[in-house]
Formats: sequence, C-alpha cells, structure tokens
Amino acid sequence: MSLIGAMLLILIAAMMLSAVVGAYQLSLNDIFHVISYQLGFTKDQPKPELLAVFWNIRLPRILLGAMVGAALAIAGAALQGLFRNPLVESGLIGVSSGGALMVVILIVFSNIISLEIAPIFIQLLQPLVAFIGGLLLTIAAYKLSKVGSKADISLLILSGVAINALAGALIGLTLYFADDAAIRNFTFWSLGDLGGANWLKIGISAPLILGSIGYLLNTAKPLNLLSLGESEAFHMGLSVEKVKTGIILAVAMAVGVSVAFTGIIGFVGLVIPHIIRLLIGADHKLVLPLSVLLGASFLVLADLASRVVVSPSELPIGIITSLAGAPFFIWLLINFKKKSRV
Amino acid sequence: MIEVRNIHHCLSGKMIIDELSFELNTGELLCVLGPNGAGKSTLLKLLSGESHCKSGQVLYNKQAIHELNPKQLSKIRAVMPQHSTVSFPFSAKEIIMIGSDLNKNELAKTLAEVTKLTKVDQLLDRPYQQLSGGEKQRVQLARVLMQIWKDAPYPRFLFLDEPTSSLDIAQQYQVFEIVKSLKSKNIGILAVVHDINLAAQSADKVLLLKSGRAMAFGTTDEIITKENISRTFDHQVLIQAHPITQKPLIISNINQNYHAKTYGNISYAN
Repeated sequence: MSLIGAMLLILIAAMMLSAVVGAYQLSLNDIFHVISYQLGFTKDQPKPELLAVFWNIRLPRILLGAMVGAALAIAGAALQGLFRNPLVESGLIGVSSGGALMVVILIVFSNIISLEIAPIFIQLLQPLVAFIGGLLLTIAAYKLSKVGSKADISLLILSGVAINALAGALIGLTLYFADDAAIRNFTFWSLGDLGGANWLKIGISAPLILGSIGYLLNTAKPLNLLSLGESEAFHMGLSVEKVKTGIILAVAMAVGVSVAFTGIIGFVGLVIPHIIRLLIGADHKLVLPLSVLLGASFLVLADLASRVVVSPSELPIGIITSLAGAPFFIWLLINFKKKSRV
Repeated sequence: MIEVRNIHHCLSGKMIIDELSFELNTGELLCVLGPNGAGKSTLLKLLSGESHCKSGQVLYNKQAIHELNPKQLSKIRAVMPQHSTVSFPFSAKEIIMIGSDLNKNELAKTLAEVTKLTKVDQLLDRPYQQLSGGEKQRVQLARVLMQIWKDAPYPRFLFLDEPTSSLDIAQQYQVFEIVKSLKSKNIGILAVVHDINLAAQSADKVLLLKSGRAMAFGTTDEIITKENISRTFDHQVLIQAHPITQKPLIISNINQNYHAKTYGNISYAN
C-alpha cells in the first residue's frame, strides 16, 4: 500500500512538473489559479494567455499522456500474464499496428471519397475502428502462437513480425492514395504524438480507457492463476475462456483507443511492468496498479522531455520512449542470455 | 465417492479411453498403472473436468461432472500436474497461496498446517524459480492441498499426475507418505504412477490400464500379480514378497524378456 502511495506521489509530482515547465513557463500559483477559476472556486479571471496555454493545451495533454501511459502499461502487464511471457508487449505482437492500420484507412479514405462527415464524427469513429483492428490482431497473435496450453514465444514474435509487416504494407498501400498533407500527418502520428490533445479527445477517450483500466485492475487474481498454466488455472476454479476473452477485449480497447489518439508509442508496456516486477515481485495484485501509476508518470515525463529537448519545437514522444525502452529491452535480452547459459 | 461409468473417449477418430468403469472412495489411495500411451493422462483430464467424455458418466458424490462449474469443482477436487513452469518471479509462499479465497485467519492456519505437512515451511520466502526439482514438487503439492484442506461436509479428492517422476527415491517415498496421511481427512486420492513398486507399497487399490481399457481393477494384493503386470506391460516380471512389508515386489525377468524378444512366443502362463 505504501508503494502505491509513493507511486501516486511520483505521478502527481510528474504532472505538476510537466504543467509548469515548457516553452511558456508557468508557476504553481498560476496553475492553481486557473484550476480554481475553471472549477468556479474563484471569480478572479486569470490572464487569457495563461488560460490558453494551461487549460486548453497543456492540461489536456498531461491528462491524455497519463491515461495513455497507464493504459499501455497495464495492457502490457495483462498481456504478459495472459501469454505467460514477460517479453510480450502490444506493439511487439501487432496490436498497436492493427489499430493504426484501421485509423489510417479511416482517415485517408474518408478524405478521398470526400465524405461529408463532421470532424467530430471522425474523432468518435477513430477509437472504434482502432479497437476493432487491435482486437482482430490480438486474437490472431494469440491463435497463431498457441501450442497446447502455452503461447510459444518464438511463434509469437514471428507472428508479430508477420502481422506488423502486413499491417505496415497495408498502411503503405493506403498512404499511396493519400495526399502530401495526410502523409506528413501520418508520419508524425505514427511516431506517437500527444500534441493534438484537447478536451474533446479527453472526453471520448476517458470513459473507454479508464473503463478498460478498471476492468484489467480486477483481473489480478485470474492473471496470478493463469501464470501457473491454463490447466492449473482451470483446476483452481477459473473459467479460463471467459477470463481470456475479457482480458483480450479490454487490452484491445485500451491500446486501440490510445493508438487512435496518440499514435504508436512503443516500449511502455514492456518496460514498466518489468521495472515493477524487479521492485516487488510477480503478484499481479501489485503489478497491475503499480504499472498504471508508473506508466502514467513515465509518459507524462517522456512528453515533457519531448517538449523541452528541442524547445520551442517538439520531438515525437515515440522517439523518447523508444530511446529509453529499446536499450532496456536489449539489456533484458542480454540478461536472458546469461541466465540460460548457466 | 467418484463413480466412473462406462466412459468412452476418442481424439481425432482414435480411441483413447474405451468402456472404462471404476470408483474412488474417500480414505483410499488408488494408483493407475499402465504403459506409455495407455490413456492415463486423458483419464485424468476426464476426471478433472478438463475434457468431457464422448459417452458414459463421471459422477462426483452422485452428481454428474458436467453439472458442476469450475468454481464448484475446485472445492471438491484438486489436481497436481506432472510439471509446472511458472513464468514470473513468484515466491514459494505466493505460489502456495495463489488463488486462495480463505479468510485471513483460516488462511494463516491452513498455510501453517499444509506447509508443515509438506515440509516447505523453510522455503516460503525463496523465489520459486530457484528451488530444486524436489522442492518445487513439494511446493506444488502444498498449493493443491490448500485448495481442499479445509474440512468440508462433502468428500474431496486429489488427483496426482506422476507426482514422483523427477524425484529421487527418498523424495518419492516422502511424497507418498504425505499423500497417504490425507486419507484420514475424508479425501480420496488417485495417482497416476510410473513406478509399479511404489504403487505396490503404497496403494490401497490399483487400476491397470492398457490401450484405454481396464485390464484389472481391485485391491493392490489382488491386482498386482505376475500375470496381470506382464500382460499389461508386455514384459515378463517376477513377483516376490517384500521382506518387511510382505507387499508384492515386482522384478523384471530379464532373461525371459531377452528370450522372448529374440525368439518371440511370450507365454503369460505361470
């Protein structure tokens, strides 16, 4: 419990730091002033640029970052438990690219056939199609990699390679029909970007993402049982198929919606649960909530870095998370090699 | 009591279990013996509810197994797998308590009793993945015992799938001593065993299985005979009385087997 408290404090500190630092520096006073004005606690109106920078740009961005970080981290932890393998991540097995493919198809083709769709409808449709794409590819990866009661890791990685390649090719094919602006947008989006965050996106994604995080937080006991094996989990009273279906749906929802609004942000789902397990062991009752908190903090800080490193310009956040995550992944592989040599 | 009535099971058109009937009472240790491919593992799956038989019935305390959901089944029977790999760094204690829905007081009491019986009380804080084969096996035994340990008004059952396959001789008898001590707890035990002598020394009843059929079923002394064992395993054996327990002791008849392999004509007559 104290660990959860500590992680919560880290998250709050990260959010406050991210709120004050940036191309336009703010003080903590400014932030509290704007928040209390917006919530109606004070009538004293803040400066308009303060309102614009903090309330309309920075705060939605921080909230979206925290939600997406939490979603990717808990989805990673849940997938690892489901596949019984600590090296699994939604990007690796193709869930994210499934979502990405569907979003690209939606964006490009709604442009081409010049559908008279209101932009708000496209924004609503995006998470839905991303969820469907993510769901289909999670199921595909699961079916392809399963041997007996265990997902075979080499099959899983290979099916991930195949699925990612196929999705990549289809995305490329779709972009062939797109105009220059769409291509530039896509490139930035595919590297991950929180820059487009606004209250509408928060409003659409919050119930979906928080709902699936809430569902996944309740799967700690089933995931513990599943880490013994599916037969063993059944013997101990788990309705295995029901639980698996629920987890896959929730993961596809969390990752799909995140991808729809922020693009593919890699390695969060791999690195965060790993760090948590190194700290406190394998019990999912702690791994899941701590992954949520650390994942949220990590993405808020990564987004801060993406804003300040080349300020006033911005780096795509996916570059930051991959720069931090890929070396960590390589370190894990080296460790794994050392262990299997003994 | 578990009653198995004329069960029949096939996989991809191949017969695995054929017209099999037997029963398991509480307070009883039943060992299932048979050559590789006899259908022992499939039988365990049918008994535990993991697979459903194509025809025939498995009754738990007079209730058909398919009427019980996984949760209800888990209160009545526990299953110890042959091998268990755990993919995450759980401690031994976490493995033993995994999935337990006992309240705090019951949990502490049950944990103390079970870990004392299985002699894992010194291992609780060690990482499971770093334990030796014998220690892992005892931790797994403790885990499945947690499931059915609490006294209940109904009979409970424990299935063991080759619980001693990776253990040395001392550990093998240690596991069977633990298992036998459960008979006084209104628990019936069914163990699939490879070592015929271990079964002969420990079991109350024996089921001999070959090609999915029961070759013989009854009390150990009745069933472990030279003819039954030779017929089931296609291997000539001699039976002597154990010098201390007087229970049957099975010895391979090496010369006969060499003779039979070379010249054919195995005779099962005494």
